[in-house]
Amino acid sequence: MSDKKSLLKNPRVIIFLLLLFGSIVAIHPSYTPGEGITTNLNFGLDLEGGSWLQIKLEGALAQIDVDSGKLVSGIVEPIIGAPIEITKNSLDVGGSADKSVTFTTSAQVSASQLEALGTVSVDKLSGSKTQVTISDTSKEILVRTYLSKALDAEVVPMSTQKGIVYEIRTGVTEEQLQALLEKVGGSIHKNEDGTSTYKEGVSSETRDLTRDILNDKLNSMGLKEIPVRTVGDEYILIDFAGIDLATAKEIAEKPGKFEIRIQTTGNATEHVLYGDSIQSVGIPTYHDEQWHTPFTLKEEGARALQKIALETGAIDDPNSHYLMMYLDGVEIYGAPLSYSAASKLREGPIYSWEASTGTDEAAKTEATALQVHLRAGALPVNVQLVGSGHVDPNLGSQFKTAAVITGLISLIAVAAVVYFKYRRPEILIPMVGTSFSEVIMILGVAALIGWQLDLPAIAGIIASIGTGIDHLVIITDEVLYEGKLPPTKVFKSRIGKAFAIILGAASTNIIALSPLVVMGFGSLKGFAITTIIGVFIGVIFARPVYGVVIKEFLHVDENGNGSITE
Amino acid sequence: MATGLTELLDNFVKTHDNRQLLALPLAVLAVSLVILLVSFVSSGSPVILGMEFQGGTQISVETTDSPAVLEKMYSSYPIIDARQTGSRVIMQFGVMDEEQQHQLETDVMDRYSSVQIQQVGPVYGQDLQVQAIKALIISFIGMAIVVFLIFRTFIPSAAVILSAFSDIMIAAAFMRVAGIELSLGTLAALLMLIGYSVDSDILLTNRVIKRRGTVEEKVSRAMHTGITMTTTTLAALAVMYLVSTFSYLVIPSFTQITLLSQISIVLIAGLFADMMNTWLLNTGILRWYVMKPEFRGRYNR
Repeated sequence: MSDKKSLLKNPRVIIFLLLLFGSIVAIHPSYTPGEGITTNLNFGLDLEGGSWLQIKLEGALAQIDVDSGKLVSGIVEPIIGAPIEITKNSLDVGGSADKSVTFTTSAQVSASQLEALGTVSVDKLSGSKTQVTISDTSKEILVRTYLSKALDAEVVPMSTQKGIVYEIRTGVTEEQLQALLEKVGGSIHKNEDGTSTYKEGVSSETRDLTRDILNDKLNSMGLKEIPVRTVGDEYILIDFAGIDLATAKEIAEKPGKFEIRIQTTGNATEHVLYGDSIQSVGIPTYHDEQWHTPFTLKEEGARALQKIALETGAIDDPNSHYLMMYLDGVEIYGAPLSYSAASKLREGPIYSWEASTGTDEAAKTEATALQVHLRAGALPVNVQLVGSGHVDPNLGSQFKTAAVITGLISLIAVAAVVYFKYRRPEILIPMVGTSFSEVIMILGVAALIGWQLDLPAIAGIIASIGTGIDHLVIITDEVLYEGKLPPTKVFKSRIGKAFAIILGAASTNIIALSPLVVMGFGSLKGFAITTIIGVFIGVIFARPVYGVVIKEFLHVDENGNGSITE
Repeated sequence: MATGLTELLDNFVKTHDNRQLLALPLAVLAVSLVILLVSFVSSGSPVILGMEFQGGTQISVETTDSPAVLEKMYSSYPIIDARQTGSRVIMQFGVMDEEQQHQLETDVMDRYSSVQIQQVGPVYGQDLQVQAIKALIISFIGMAIVVFLIFRTFIPSAAVILSAFSDIMIAAAFMRVAGIELSLGTLAALLMLIGYSVDSDILLTNRVIKRRGTVEEKVSRAMHTGITMTTTTLAALAVMYLVSTFSYLVIPSFTQITLLSQISIVLIAGLFADMMNTWLLNTGILRWYVMKPEFRGRYNR
């Protein structure tokens, strides 16, 4: 009896027991009549039933070298249909001040043809010579305009430490991009070591924006808690628990309904435009002491807005004719027209708008949310469905039962081998007990961090039963090197030697599986993390305690029997 | 069983010289490499690539219809194969366009119960192939670095790494011969093998070069511990294989869990290879190394 008391005073044993107890609390197994056994454990779709979609984001990132003069010619000449001669060019001058370029041509030019490039002024110098100046422009604007027109996709220049990186939000190969740039005397920038800066994929910000839009869309449909995860920079994984594959695809493909309405009289509102009239949505910016979300309207949207503003009288009295934005029937934003916008609308439609939200942090959050809402299902990049899956709920529960049975029988089989080898219950009981506790602790960690247990994770747990026992065998054989329990001093050095081997073996296990955690295999992450957690718990908490316990158990036996055979 | 095997192996090691010990594992390694090479030359890949790596759709349903009936029923789709496991039929389809895919899924879901669908686009499959190769290489190099850090001597470390390399190659060749496809599950098994197969090699090398005693005795003792270790792991895996593969024969309502079945069978093959490689290949090299005259019995006292 005294031995058991001394065991309970050992700090390692105390920590171990606390962790074990904590794990059981975290798992929280309980039995409800009618519902069966319930726990806090989360199960993956393959055990719970449901479907999943895997989406690839198509896009490319590249730094671009281009001669600004040739670029201007390359962009302008096809539009106006005549050669141009550049007379003044400040595009290559450093600094961020507004830059301009001036050229002359023999063709007729109207300012609206070149509007997208900057502020355009046209002077007719003589009957056959027109001078055009584009100011408020830059090389980035020109490259963006050229590429987005040629590829019919959004192109976003981003400043990075290495320089300007262009994000092309559609699938384009390196060869295609290079060919496009060669037409305007440009090329894809090469790194110092000669490798290309072209990279397939999108920036992590764009990936996260896409994820947020999907999340927003799914949640706005009343489907709460549909996890949308990003895997690597290129893939997004959506889990639909309890929803079949056909429905899942329908949900993901159906865009949200975004609408702008205008207040007419009192609380009555009138339709202005739908989300399909929105051309693009920009990143929230802070200026004039306000947060703004910029967006641009397509031709018909801008005209519709102008028409209704005139009809309702909003241009004369903006404050009683609020513009309201709705997503799937829910109001998400409302504000009056600014006086400057109202007076501009008198003259013509406005394409570029900004929704201001206020000055504080909350306004910033609102502006960001608005950016997501405005897109309403229109994702910033082209996507491609690259994988999907479906498991019927009853099949999932079969898998779950089979997996639990497999785990239990595995433990029994391992125990049988151990007993066959040592033929001593005082070794068998601590060994199986330690192994079983390790499984409980892995499950405890899973419950605590909300980790989803899927089939690969179950395989990981069974595998860690196997290796866990391996390490306990190493400790046992090391301790009983001469066939009997050595004096305490020798015992301690033996345990040290055993741990030298165990730590070596454990580190190779962890290293070998770690690529699966960071690499894009969404489905094997569970397996790798579970196994690695298992190895950690085993080496740090469980196995040292086994060393202590086995000593006490064998010590008792030693006193009782006086002899030990291997 | 474990004890019998240990005695047999122990005697074999004691009565044969190092050259003889190396003969069998090196021959098996050579045969495995030839198998993988022939497969690579003839089909472009050393192992059979599963659906996940090639793209396509796998649908498994609960049915009393025979595979032949199903194959005929879905012949308008690019069906490649239909096979029966217990009360289920698993159908394999090639790559389809989105509309056809949708049609097939709706049809299957209306007609059958307990449906499981898995679809992988060819683009993702290509991506996975690249990632799989990267994962294997990084994992192996990581393991090799850890082994070198542990022992800090070239030949003993190299022997451990060679033995692990041989385990992977033999397991991969086994997959090719037994017709087991490379799936995410079997890839995980190969990676796990890289980590687990060196456990017994580390035990052996640690005991032989860091302990006192005669080499013969140290090898023999390490073997007793090592074989017990491998046998317990094999027992857990054998159960996993049997339950996930054949439980439906006992309990008809159960289904095969392909993932667990594949992981376990590849690990079992790898661990058998590991027993041979640890106790013949690694032992042979290590015994030759520590008995070298320049050490003057440093490791043998």
